[in-house]
Amino acid sequence: MKKIILISLILLVGCTKMEIEPTPPPSTQNIFSVKESRVTDGQEIHFQLSTAGVYTLTLIDKENGQVVSRERFTGQSGKNIKKIYTNSIESQYLYLLLEDVTKTEIGKTTIITK
Amino acid sequence: MKKLIVTLLFLLTSFLGFGQSVSAPDSKSFLQSTNGQDASGFVLSGFGSNETLLASISLINPPTGTTFNLTTTTGLTAASGFTLAGDKTRLVVTGTMANINTALTSLKVNTGSVIGNVQLSVAATVNPIGFFYNGVNGHFYKPLTATADRTTYTNARARSLLTTFKGQTGYLVTITSTSEEEFIRVNVPATNVWFAATDEVVDGRWVIDAGPEKGTVMKTSNGQLAGNIQGVYNNWCGGEPNGSNGSENYAVAKWNGAACWNDLSNNWNNPYVIEYGTWTNPDDATFTEFYTNSVIHSNGQVLRAQFNFDFGTNIDETKFNTILLAQSNNQYLPTTNTNRTLNGLGRVDMTSDLDTVKISNGKKGNIIAGGVEWSYVNISNGVTTLYIDLRKFDQNTQPSDVKRVSILDAYDGEVTYQQTSLYWAHYVVPSTLTKITDGTSSFVGNIRNSGYNNWAFACDVLFNNINVYKPHGVRLSTTNNMASLYNSIVTVSDVFLAFKEVSNGGLFGNESGLEFGSGVQFMNADIDGNGMFNELDTYKLLQHLTGVETIGGGSTNLSDYIKLYTKSEYDDITKTNWYTQTNVTRNQYTPLNLSNSTLLNNFTLNATWIGDVNLSHSAQQSVNGVSANSVRVMSLSTNSVSTDINASIIGEISNDKVIIRISLDPLQQEVVGTQFQLNYDNSKLKFEKVDFVTNGNPMNYGTNRGSFVSIGSLITNGGGVLDKTTEYRITFSPIGNITNILGLTSISTTDAVNKDGKQLKVKLN
Repeated sequence: MKKIILISLILLVGCTKMEIEPTPPPSTQNIFSVKESRVTDGQEIHFQLSTAGVYTLTLIDKENGQVVSRERFTGQSGKNIKKIYTNSIESQYLYLLLEDVTKTEIGKTTIITK
Repeated sequence: MKKLIVTLLFLLTSFLGFGQSVSAPDSKSFLQSTNGQDASGFVLSGFGSNETLLASISLINPPTGTTFNLTTTTGLTAASGFTLAGDKTRLVVTGTMANINTALTSLKVNTGSVIGNVQLSVAATVNPIGFFYNGVNGHFYKPLTATADRTTYTNARARSLLTTFKGQTGYLVTITSTSEEEFIRVNVPATNVWFAATDEVVDGRWVIDAGPEKGTVMKTSNGQLAGNIQGVYNNWCGGEPNGSNGSENYAVAKWNGAACWNDLSNNWNNPYVIEYGTWTNPDDATFTEFYTNSVIHSNGQVLRAQFNFDFGTNIDETKFNTILLAQSNNQYLPTTNTNRTLNGLGRVDMTSDLDTVKISNGKKGNIIAGGVEWSYVNISNGVTTLYIDLRKFDQNTQPSDVKRVSILDAYDGEVTYQQTSLYWAHYVVPSTLTKITDGTSSFVGNIRNSGYNNWAFACDVLFNNINVYKPHGVRLSTTNNMASLYNSIVTVSDVFLAFKEVSNGGLFGNESGLEFGSGVQFMNADIDGNGMFNELDTYKLLQHLTGVETIGGGSTNLSDYIKLYTKSEYDDITKTNWYTQTNVTRNQYTPLNLSNSTLLNNFTLNATWIGDVNLSHSAQQSVNGVSANSVRVMSLSTNSVSTDINASIIGEISNDKVIIRISLDPLQQEVVGTQFQLNYDNSKLKFEKVDFVTNGNPMNYGTNRGSFVSIGSLITNGGGVLDKTTEYRITFSPIGNITNILGLTSISTTDAVNKDGKQLKVKLN
């Protein structure tokens, strides 16, 4: 009986889930429709554009207002999917800003990177 | 017109009550188990000289046996419940500012044997007419006893809630203790006084009906003692409450003048009292126009080790740790090996790490009254020499061991051992011993003027060990990435300033130039630490800026970058002596000598960074600044940068390459130096090159450092300035397939400098 208990304990311990935070699955929700999102490196972000054209996505440090990264891209009308990379970014709290070619704000939300 | 303005200003300041305050003395240590120790130093100011003030003096959670008293109370009146005379832990008085200040100069503390903090608090306000202050709970009370004010219970309850006083909403008075009952009895000149207690919901179930205790059940049955809840104050008259007529649902105090309560129906028009204040401890009071201050003394030795670091605006103090050291066998070793992380404000408390075990540090000679002249002093030409007969020494005490003496009642302090002659040990005393020479010593019968400036003492000499705390020290370390941290400290502004100094001050030796205003700047610019600031140092700075070779050799040890000085040492660094500071590269400071006789053992340490030529992250020198015993222990400050220029960044994928463009808009500034640190994810991007578009023939640099690229320009020959056309184009090739690049690169450090050497703030937008 003791052996059974011991083996059960070993199995139980062996099967204990490791405390590693899983990478959240990509959200298909429009990222600009929520106030803030926690993202991991390489995570997909989704957003809608009403017309095709040239847009920019900008990451701004919330603490000091400085732009830390900006990408210019050609967007398509309707749903757009982009990845967001965080390994090179030192700030934890950022604004994600979507603007069109005239620098008109299309969407803005908060990103938490760590 | 002038008179009118002056009058208006006077009225305005009087009305607004400008300038009232209570100042507190510095902290000190009291002796244990000693009565009558001076605790003066509180001063009221700014109140009108004819105003009657209400002042509260209190000890906050004192060690057992600690009390205070006032030996002078002229012109003061004790508030209700207090007496002026005697030892106490709290006293509330009224009087003029002058009388109260006089009394405060006579404040004495009596201590017991229990050590601990002795926090004294003094509060003051203009004594409000028609209100009474209860010093026990710190509440104000307003009795409404005039015929016109008398009303029913429910009216009194409702009207009380409509009033405010000193920022607090009133409520019908509650009576929750014997002392509060007594306070009401003494201060309210009326009988049958409504107070907040009712059984209107359930007959016989009496509850407190207002204030912070509202809803508390007092008793569950009518009758003087029936159903009284233990621990809740009840004080009913005999046979009361009785709920007579089924309508007596409300309580009065001072029933028919007696010191007890009755229940009455709501058709009585009675006086009532409004209470202000919701706290139980007077020291928690939040009344407006109620001025308070406190000081924390100690009873006995209560040492504290508290440090305050400030590394400037762009350095995260929480990435720094401290560890406390104490001397052992001529080495400084960690006391507890506990690394304490600075909090977000740069503060850390290391009190629990102190090594409080005392060690022997020489002997003290106690010259006390006796029958033989074992000692004498010679006082001549401003020098006092003490002589102690050698026969008073033994194998445990050699003359050179003696570092302190007490001489009757004339001196108690340090002495310097001089020599030993045939019969005497000689010591220099840093005092003229006026009590000896002018005959005011109470041991005058033991002192003999023996001529030739000699005074002999009929005495005995006893020696005891001097026990002191071990010398301590503090060591600073960081979990910051040193390369990244240092790139934000030594920037293009520093390099440019160093170049300007070299070109103005000469390229050789340690000449003083025109740009550096401080010896610390020379010291920081002397990168190789050889005591000379010259072109070799500027070259090393340039190498660091461009990433060819880093200052400190890329070391991760903070001691290769920082120097710590005491405030006096730091302030004494000048343009002519800075070169003596070579090889002072230390991330720890020793010794910090803990005083045996003072509570606060704080030390002002200044820090400076090698290469920080413009002192943007190093302590500012100050001769008249923070005092040696200041709470601010370490100060590192950042020069303010008020001049902005603009820059922008944009990236995109083009022809299978990742192109990042950084462009500059100098606005009105004549920019001669720029610096950007572009981080990149080296698991996804491979650096290829930097292309420059610059005006003014600058030296451009773009150095790959593995995970970031250091990019910028520097014009040191006066040949022009950078203009709006400036652009840095950085090219990466992707590793693997990427479809977009948001966040693959980011900017973390920026700097710029103008022709005058002024550091500019780069706004990235």
